[in-house]
Amino acid sequence: MQMLSPYRVLDLTTERGLLCGQALGDLGADVIKIEPPGGAPSRRLGPFLDDESHPDRSLYWWAYNRNKRSVTLDIDRPEGRALFRRMASGADFLIESFNPGDMAARGLGYDDLAALNPALVYVSISAFGQEGPKASYADADLIIMAAGGPLMLTGDDDRPPVRLSVPQAYLHASADAAVGALAAHHESVRSGRGQRVDVAAQESVAMATQSWVLAASLGSVEIRRMSGGVKIAELDIPLVWPAKDGYIALTFLFGTALGVFTRKLMHYLCERGFCDQATRDKDWIAFGDQLASGAEPISEFERVIEIVRSFTRSHTKAELLQFALERGFLMTPITTIEEVVKSPQLESRGYWRWIEHPELGRGILYPGPFAKFSATPIAYRHRPPTVGEHNREVYCGELGLSAAEFAGLVENGIV
Amino acid sequence: MAETLPLADVRILDFMWVMAGPASTRILADYGATVIRIESPTRVDTARTLQPFHNNTAGPDSSGLFNNCNAGKFGISLDLGNPRSREVVHDLLQWAQVVTESFSPKAMRAWGYDYESLRKLKPDIIMLSTCLMGQSGPLSRIAGFGNMAAAISGFHNLTGWPDRPPAGPFGAYTDYVSPRFTAMAILAALDHHRRTGQGQYIDQSQAEASLHFLAPAILDYTANGRIQGRVGNSDREYAPHGVYPAAGEDRWIAIVCETDAQWRGLCSVINRRDLASDPRLTTARGRRDNTAEIDAAISTWTAGMGAGAVEAHLQSRGVPAYQVQNSAQATRDAQMAHRAHFVEVNHSTLGKTIVEGPRAQLSRTPARVQAAGPSLGEHNQYVLEKILGYGEERVTALVAAGVFG
Repeated sequence: MQMLSPYRVLDLTTERGLLCGQALGDLGADVIKIEPPGGAPSRRLGPFLDDESHPDRSLYWWAYNRNKRSVTLDIDRPEGRALFRRMASGADFLIESFNPGDMAARGLGYDDLAALNPALVYVSISAFGQEGPKASYADADLIIMAAGGPLMLTGDDDRPPVRLSVPQAYLHASADAAVGALAAHHESVRSGRGQRVDVAAQESVAMATQSWVLAASLGSVEIRRMSGGVKIAELDIPLVWPAKDGYIALTFLFGTALGVFTRKLMHYLCERGFCDQATRDKDWIAFGDQLASGAEPISEFERVIEIVRSFTRSHTKAELLQFALERGFLMTPITTIEEVVKSPQLESRGYWRWIEHPELGRGILYPGPFAKFSATPIAYRHRPPTVGEHNREVYCGELGLSAAEFAGLVENGIV
Repeated sequence: MAETLPLADVRILDFMWVMAGPASTRILADYGATVIRIESPTRVDTARTLQPFHNNTAGPDSSGLFNNCNAGKFGISLDLGNPRSREVVHDLLQWAQVVTESFSPKAMRAWGYDYESLRKLKPDIIMLSTCLMGQSGPLSRIAGFGNMAAAISGFHNLTGWPDRPPAGPFGAYTDYVSPRFTAMAILAALDHHRRTGQGQYIDQSQAEASLHFLAPAILDYTANGRIQGRVGNSDREYAPHGVYPAAGEDRWIAIVCETDAQWRGLCSVINRRDLASDPRLTTARGRRDNTAEIDAAISTWTAGMGAGAVEAHLQSRGVPAYQVQNSAQATRDAQMAHRAHFVEVNHSTLGKTIVEGPRAQLSRTPARVQAAGPSLGEHNQYVLEKILGYGEERVTALVAAGVFG
């Protein structure tokens, strides 16, 4: 048995919400992806398998549609809507990510479906939320990262702010939506009543500011972007450091918690001849405060940074990782996707999952479960489905349509 | 009729600290879960030392990050090295449905609080451990912060300009991604427990959970052998797609055209109808091939204007655009205000402070942010007397034994 196996999810999401249904599917729910005839538009997003653009070859789509079954249904036509209402009356969750108001305009808004199924948890994922002065704004990943705060904090200081090269905004929103859906579900078990769950990606990505989105309202200084680090007040704080063969992340900070690590590192650097004892013996707990008060000049901070840099630059990423393991330094290598896939750590934990795609006569390696559950491990029960792969199974086998009814829907282009 | 909060019946004993772990139980506290957070009286939670600070002043209670990650939780200070703390932990365990922890592996075992030990005391307990790399494997000993897990998981290499070193995402990126998966895991395990009576152990690697946010790039490698790199602000599908200068120091506007109609709208707003009719630029592919020319035309128009005005102009024509907001601008943002993103809460020593609001808004039983993060040991007495039912004498004896630091 899977954790959520008693529950059915109807997943109507566009590319804005695919991860939400997948997460519920990973946790065991029966997720039915409802696509327009011909396939969801998000199947047209690349990259594609072998770079061949085709709805059943989108790697982007595969990344977020495992553990779902697929049916096609034209919810813009009355017969399609009627069938959809039938499905919704027996579902536990519905997830949608159309523009705010689009579902209500189809007669499929929360109030419409709650009248049929009061226990339904109805999840809406959008850029800015269902209501408000900017709710109908046109959106995109980059736009949301700008609106929610993380973009301003990312990138080189002499160039425009920069986003992650792999779109992130709607993944944050979809993950938040899955949590909200499960909270609402938990309550519905008690009360027998569902509700609307409304997630705005703008708010979700604010999480990626590490609470700096609060700076102004708290009366704090603003932080400013810097390649591989941050600028706080007068300090340029590096968090990315050069290695002999690439780069590493290293946290080199001060104060009661982090200064302890810095002290440990400086003792080691002294031992290795990178700095003198006077430098080693600075008060690394208080160093940040001393810089702020002027008791230590900024130039001294810069001198120390150069010492650490000369150390990191003289070793390979692998050597530095080994030091981190042996001595508890706050260092890890910056890796390419290839290095990630070949990681001995992930291999030793059996992370990767080989999923067969029989329709293509091949298999593909996928990222593995997002957590290891001892009693109910996440299973990859369904590879990402082809367009409408489960039409007959769902419509005839589960909804009880006759063969003739089903054929009629196909003929009319509803399915 | 007053509605109870959705998770009002959920009880969590929370040993987590710093960012990724506490951010997950913060979500559950918003929805009404009772979260009792154990904090060391001697080893300060790193989050308490991190900016931004309330009134820009460092202090044990003034970290906005700490308050944001711990709002609405009960805090008790407990010296886990003190033998007499065990009776308190054991009683809290009997009270709890879920135990969470985010130490590096081995710490809980050293105290005798690993899953095997706890399940002997409470067979149906759900326990979740979250750490950077997971409980097993050669790198399980790597302790630290989400910037390190992000770096070793490919995020840094995929952020920045192709002709420059990796800029990296801002801060501890996997600490933003993984808490949602943590919260989902707890809620699903609770549902399973309700139906079956079965508890279990959940081992979460923050790196492994976060890799799902890079899944398309991972599949591009595992299926196609292509190693994606950082590409600045360009997009594999759409053009134009960038961040352009606006009037003022370090002010920027993000602009994207995902459709040809948006492209024509943009050309019309910037008075470059010649570009709209240029046959080279009618498709996204054509525009991607001529990015420099298009970006120059857009920048010429945006550079002299306020970012907010550019945003309003373009959005009125249906073109995706937004000023790139720092916290001051986000605080004044009409949409963030409409969503009540910035919430004023009571704090035991600061008076009032601000935290972020709940992300998923529930229509009938909305989340409620009860208070800021607890100061160290703020709820010792409440938890012992009101939740565990200890009498005054017992509490006094425990205090005298130094259990609370």
